[in-house]
Amino acid sequence: MRARLELEQVSVQFAGLRALSDVSLSARGGEVKALIGPNGAGKTTLFNAISGYVPLARGAIRLDGEPIHGITPHEIAARGVRRTFQNGGLFGELTALENILAGLHARIDAGFAGILFGTRSARAAERAAVIRARALLELLGASHLAERQVKLLSGGQQRIVEIVRAVACDPPLLLLDEPAVGLAPPVRAQLVELIRRLAGEMGIAVLLIEHAVDLVMAVADVVAVFNGGVKIAEGPPSAIRADPVVLEAYLGHA
Amino acid sequence: MKFYLVPILATAIPLFANAYIQFMVNLMLVYVLVTVGFNLVLGNLGQLAFANTALFGIGAYAAAMLMAHAGWPFWAVIVPAGLAGAAAGFLASVSALRGIRVYYLAIITLAFGELLRWLYIHGERATGGTDGLAVPQSSFFGVALDSETARFYVFLVIVTLVVKGISNLMHSRIGRAIVAIRDNELATASLAIPTGRTIVLAFVLSGFVVGVGGAMFALLIGRVIPESFGLIELILHFAMVLVGGFGSLLGSVLGAVALTALPEYFRGFPGLYEMFFGALVIVFLLVQPRGLSALVAHWWPALRDRYYREG
Repeated sequence: MRARLELEQVSVQFAGLRALSDVSLSARGGEVKALIGPNGAGKTTLFNAISGYVPLARGAIRLDGEPIHGITPHEIAARGVRRTFQNGGLFGELTALENILAGLHARIDAGFAGILFGTRSARAAERAAVIRARALLELLGASHLAERQVKLLSGGQQRIVEIVRAVACDPPLLLLDEPAVGLAPPVRAQLVELIRRLAGEMGIAVLLIEHAVDLVMAVADVVAVFNGGVKIAEGPPSAIRADPVVLEAYLGHA
Repeated sequence: MKFYLVPILATAIPLFANAYIQFMVNLMLVYVLVTVGFNLVLGNLGQLAFANTALFGIGAYAAAMLMAHAGWPFWAVIVPAGLAGAAAGFLASVSALRGIRVYYLAIITLAFGELLRWLYIHGERATGGTDGLAVPQSSFFGVALDSETARFYVFLVIVTLVVKGISNLMHSRIGRAIVAIRDNELATASLAIPTGRTIVLAFVLSGFVVGVGGAMFALLIGRVIPESFGLIELILHFAMVLVGGFGSLLGSVLGAVALTALPEYFRGFPGLYEMFFGALVIVFLLVQPRGLSALVAHWWPALRDRYYREG
């Protein structure tokens, strides 16, 4: 069954300032939805609200009908909401493989005592995770990075490792915050392909914040446009491109 | 099995060592636990918590009081001393969880250590005040611990078991989660890792390990005094972590072994020790900030720190 995320009239306030006003939005498995809009439009705030890093002033967020607001980020992540960070959220001192293993944390069935005493079952659980992490890197074309410390990887490689880590537990929902910033064209093409595969092959609901219009047009099924904390338009990329309200607010004089 | 090679080889040390050298080796074993515990919070979790002498002192006093006042044998006080250290570690973790971090955490944990020293000095009836508390001769399941050699074998078993347990934890999802928090706490939570609980766990484990070290210290020295747990001692602990290598279990062992013997070597040259010690810390900070463990890993890559277990 494919997941469905529903945001119902979500508002977020910072010290009396309204960062998001009555935003309603949905996402469903297999679909890539891009969020665009000028800086300060509230896109990252929306991600932070969904993943529990900022509290809602009003509204509700539901995943498959279950409310996921008002709980901590790690609990929301445990429900299957995974994300990447605009400034990169990797663990720099760890290798790519260790980063992926951290993404699998909740999947490793080994308790404290078992690990402490090195029981057979705890070791087997850890071994199984290593095998799965390697398979995942292989599947998503990053197995050559496995043993490298991520702080020594290029920007593009880091983005890819972070995305692989985010999807390691087969999350129903993935939030990607500007994954293509600063990447060279060939790496961007690779990224577009990876995102399409996550939605198409793995059935993940992908929400994507992106500034580059060409990338949005290439990868998104639906585009939602934000300005000043309000969603001002939503529709297929071709329609958004022609929408006068959007042209006015964001694309400028095209 | 590779892990047990060093302790197995170490069992031969009493064949070569005289009582004095054996004492130094025993002290090294104490400091292995002190450094392993400190490094867990300082290097792996990445928190500037300087409660280590507090944890060490609480373990030592708990053990000494149980042996001196209640007449418990050494084997019975090991776990209580560890638990006393763990409780103190838990207190330190509460400040970290409340958002007291970096320099504020450093100051509050330093103050905690000094407060405890005040308690040792003024709680005379229990602690013996500035004169300290004499620790009676003890036994380990009927074996008298009245010689350095006897203490050595008991210490070796304790240290091997504790370090093996910590090694198991570090090469697992738990050790990875601890290091992940150091590198990026927000991102750690986004992977369904309970960050708060993991921080508490790291502090409590650190306290337990250092507390057990304290119990061994009390037995080895034969007397616990408040002066043993002051700032100079803390600087020694910090230097052991630094010289060994932040966040490295192997480094903790190397740092403890390298620096335990140092003050003894310089005993005949007053003043020289402090100079050499200061110079050593500066040289490591400038030239080898990742410590001896990084040097070892450079020449012997198989010993590089990993946060998972292969095969």
